[in-house]
Amino acid sequence: MSTARILTLVAVLAGLATTAAGQTPAATDQPAALPGMSPGDAVQPVYDQEIFAHGMFSQLEGRWNGSNTQFRWEGQGWVGTDLDKLWIKSEGTLLSNGTLDDGQHQFLYSRAVTTYFDLQAGLRSDIDSRPTRNWGALGIQGLAPYFFDLELTGYASDEGHLAAKLEASYDLLLTQRLILQPQIEVNLYSKADPSRMVGAGFSDIDTGLRLRYEIDRKFAPYLGVVYEGKFGQTANFARRAGESTGDVRIAFGVRVWF
Amino acid sequence: MIASLYRALMIGLLPIALIACMSPGRPTVADEGAAVPLGVDLGGSGPVMASAPQAATRPAFAAEGRVSHPQQGSEMQMAHEGRNDAHGIGTVNSVDPAQHKINLSHQPISELGWPSMTMDFSVAATIDLKSIKPGTRVNFTIEQQPGGMYEIQAIAPAGGGR
Amino acid sequence: MIALRISPLSGPTLCRRRFMQGAAAAGALSLLPWPLRTALAAPAPVLSGTEFALAIEPVPVTINGRAAMATGVNGQLPAPILRWREGDTLTLAVTNRLNEPSSIHWHGVRTPSPMDGVPGLSFRGIAPGETFVYRFPVHQSGTYWYHSHTMFQEQTGVYGAIVIVPKGGYAQAFDRDYVVLLSDWSFEPPKTIVSNLKFQSDYYNYRQRTLGTFVEDAEKKGLTAAVADRLEWGKIRMSPTDILDVSGATYTYLINGQAPGANWTALFRPGERVRLRFINGSSMSIFDVRIDGLPMTVVQADGNDVQPLTVDEFRISVAETYDVIVQPKVDRAYTLSVQPEDRSGYARGTLAPRPGMASPIPPMDPRPMRTMADMGMGSMDQGAISGMGSMGTMPMNRGTVQHQPTPAMAQGSMQGMKTDRGDTSGMPGMEANPEAKKLEGSVGVDNVAMMPTERLNKAGEGFPPGRRVLTYADLRALKPGSDLRPPTHEITLHLTGNIERFIWGFDGKKFSEAGPIELKRGDRVRFVLINDTMMEHPIHLHGLWSELENGHGEFRPYKHTINVKPGEKLTYLVTADEPGRWAYHCHLLYHMAAGMFREVHVA
Repeated sequence: MSTARILTLVAVLAGLATTAAGQTPAATDQPAALPGMSPGDAVQPVYDQEIFAHGMFSQLEGRWNGSNTQFRWEGQGWVGTDLDKLWIKSEGTLLSNGTLDDGQHQFLYSRAVTTYFDLQAGLRSDIDSRPTRNWGALGIQGLAPYFFDLELTGYASDEGHLAAKLEASYDLLLTQRLILQPQIEVNLYSKADPSRMVGAGFSDIDTGLRLRYEIDRKFAPYLGVVYEGKFGQTANFARRAGESTGDVRIAFGVRVWF
Repeated sequence: MIASLYRALMIGLLPIALIACMSPGRPTVADEGAAVPLGVDLGGSGPVMASAPQAATRPAFAAEGRVSHPQQGSEMQMAHEGRNDAHGIGTVNSVDPAQHKINLSHQPISELGWPSMTMDFSVAATIDLKSIKPGTRVNFTIEQQPGGMYEIQAIAPAGGGR
Repeated sequence: MIALRISPLSGPTLCRRRFMQGAAAAGALSLLPWPLRTALAAPAPVLSGTEFALAIEPVPVTINGRAAMATGVNGQLPAPILRWREGDTLTLAVTNRLNEPSSIHWHGVRTPSPMDGVPGLSFRGIAPGETFVYRFPVHQSGTYWYHSHTMFQEQTGVYGAIVIVPKGGYAQAFDRDYVVLLSDWSFEPPKTIVSNLKFQSDYYNYRQRTLGTFVEDAEKKGLTAAVADRLEWGKIRMSPTDILDVSGATYTYLINGQAPGANWTALFRPGERVRLRFINGSSMSIFDVRIDGLPMTVVQADGNDVQPLTVDEFRISVAETYDVIVQPKVDRAYTLSVQPEDRSGYARGTLAPRPGMASPIPPMDPRPMRTMADMGMGSMDQGAISGMGSMGTMPMNRGTVQHQPTPAMAQGSMQGMKTDRGDTSGMPGMEANPEAKKLEGSVGVDNVAMMPTERLNKAGEGFPPGRRVLTYADLRALKPGSDLRPPTHEITLHLTGNIERFIWGFDGKKFSEAGPIELKRGDRVRFVLINDTMMEHPIHLHGLWSELENGHGEFRPYKHTINVKPGEKLTYLVTADEPGRWAYHCHLLYHMAAGMFREVHVA
């Protein structure tokens, strides 16, 4: 990754952060000191800019297609206030032959911009058993009308490649604790990347239907059916390497958050 | 190898799931055999005066403040010497001549087993409060009065800072 | 000040460190000076006089058989009942024996500003180990309460009742007198509760719409109507099942600190008049209160006398108080039934001639659902039977209150209210809300009530038909107000929130994002509140009376806490006769903590 590109990315992020900080309102001015208070005391009647932190694995599962098993995770975490957060996102699949596939890890700064959506910017690193790639990321995440959870992110790598990812899911409550969740993730790339077996255009889809039981809000085992598919040039790469281009598997895992 | 790892993980998750079942906030079975808690009767209304409905009054408050007087003098003032007196050292926060009390922040008083505290003390009537300045570090002795409250019997500036 | 809060995986909350604190506190009891020691050694449920020593400290409690460490006063939960006399000057030495700062606020009691107990506005709080001496005269009477105004101590047990005996005697006679302090208790630490809500705002809602309820709806209303309903709510990303943010999923509801199984009992002799002083000292729970088989005569609201009126049930929002007089004539037990508005649990007590008696607990009332009127879309109730249950009051300018049934359909709000302004232009019940458009779409706002309704004569949702339920329109002060000037200006505030992110505020802004509301001493001002959210908010102004304009002219009730219904618009008059920096906030504790707070500065 060239220095110039890295510096540009850092500058953009710094710019975003300072704009955000500038817009973050200052605490109310304290007029004359109260009895028992010295001027400049920081005591507030309420503290509404608290920092919270949460992490969640939306997928932590074994996937079995009758002959071999894979292990997949997809998780997110954030720390921050109502308006500003730092996010970490990670996903990957551990294949039955011991290699790591589809590793994507993102480190983002997130700013709440509308009622339901955040604007996110940062870095994505594809780290798995294949050669590593680094990208700058810019996207939105939030709750779309009709309660669809939506993530749409665009990426630009230092070699001039562009990419995009769309993730959506929906929680259908069958009962108060039994929830059916269709989920879909689609990746696009502007140029082929043969060493990562990724082709141009629509590259792959990872979609599933998971039925979870919320023993507790924070712990819900689930059973599901997932489909991983490759398209176009990516499918060609896969066929040439003797791998499948479409795979249906049974998934069993747990959805946890803290 | 992956398969066996995965199987182990899934088996391991089962007890975790059972433990997680015991989430907080689900009330357990009610107490049995305990005596029924009774409400405390605050008493009746007493004779009702027909002409005295509740008024939604809006009083304006006079400023309630602590009055402090600048003082001079550094002699010890003593009401009496008592064998039951406990000794303390502390800082005067404020003086209330109207009620003949001072508010002190004092160090632990080992004779009484008191931790360091800030509290009001009545002062023996013979002690002149005019010579006690807020902010002064003082030595003092206190004695328990028949009513149970502690009263300052002797007080003098201790010298040194706060 | 920024603090890092990482909520752990759910688990038991009895923290060893806090338990040791409690043991140490008990041991330290013997070392205290005599007057304090007497007060603390024998937990006294009632403290009287003019000098008080209160210690805020960890208190071990057992609720429903489960032990926990609460924060209480003088070793008790709830805190001791303080019994004052109107006209006395009080001295209250409050010692903080917690590991964190604390404070006590005397809710509804008018004190000089430095004695009001709000850290950051009245004083800097009471540091651990410190004693703060409150001193103020009492010029009012009635039922009030006191609680911590620091962090979440109000949730963990620092709350108690205040009974101020009137100088001139009571307006109505009664033979017995009980405090009924309603509260909510969770074994989860309050910081965890807030953290959970920040991640998943419907965390505690276990009565959401499901496929099952959809099938039921389709059977009742038809498939098309059910689908249209789901799409209507889905489009705005709201759920009509959002009643209370924190529910019985984590709460145990208490009467005077007792769980339903304990069966708190108030004794009476048949034929006696019993005064019950209801206080909602909870953090997040709005309660519907009734006594099965016994009508209640409401005589006081928020400590001020009102024209007595008899009801079967009343809804008491957080921080409100209602004094009622009942006269049970039969030698039997009566069940005091207290249900939170979302029906996710209950609190229960008994009125009986002898201890140990109990009466069957009546079945739970229907669970309310939000309507499009609650979203501020005017009052077109979609087939909901909300108007039927409550018998509203048509205010008469002559000053007498008569009860008349409101028509079944939503025309009740179309007739609207004759406000003090005499504003009956067009449709008095519904008013357009153009300036609120600006708030739409911002991070702190998820809804703007386009047509907020004035509906003080409606009790709310969730009452079965045929019950007389108290409404704000029913409250008529016994004595005319002391300041008859009309207001010189109006202050309009929108109650806003983003439930998905769990952000709450006024006009789309949190406390830290806004400045104080400035008033001059002696000002007579009208506050106009428009609730853009779909939840009730009990709005409390410290230090000054809020005179609710409910159509009774100069006999409008003096309140300290006013519950604004979803999508509702109401107004009240305030005379700024006491200088100081006064807190003004929603009394739902986690809303206040999330930013629904303002300073009202009277210069």
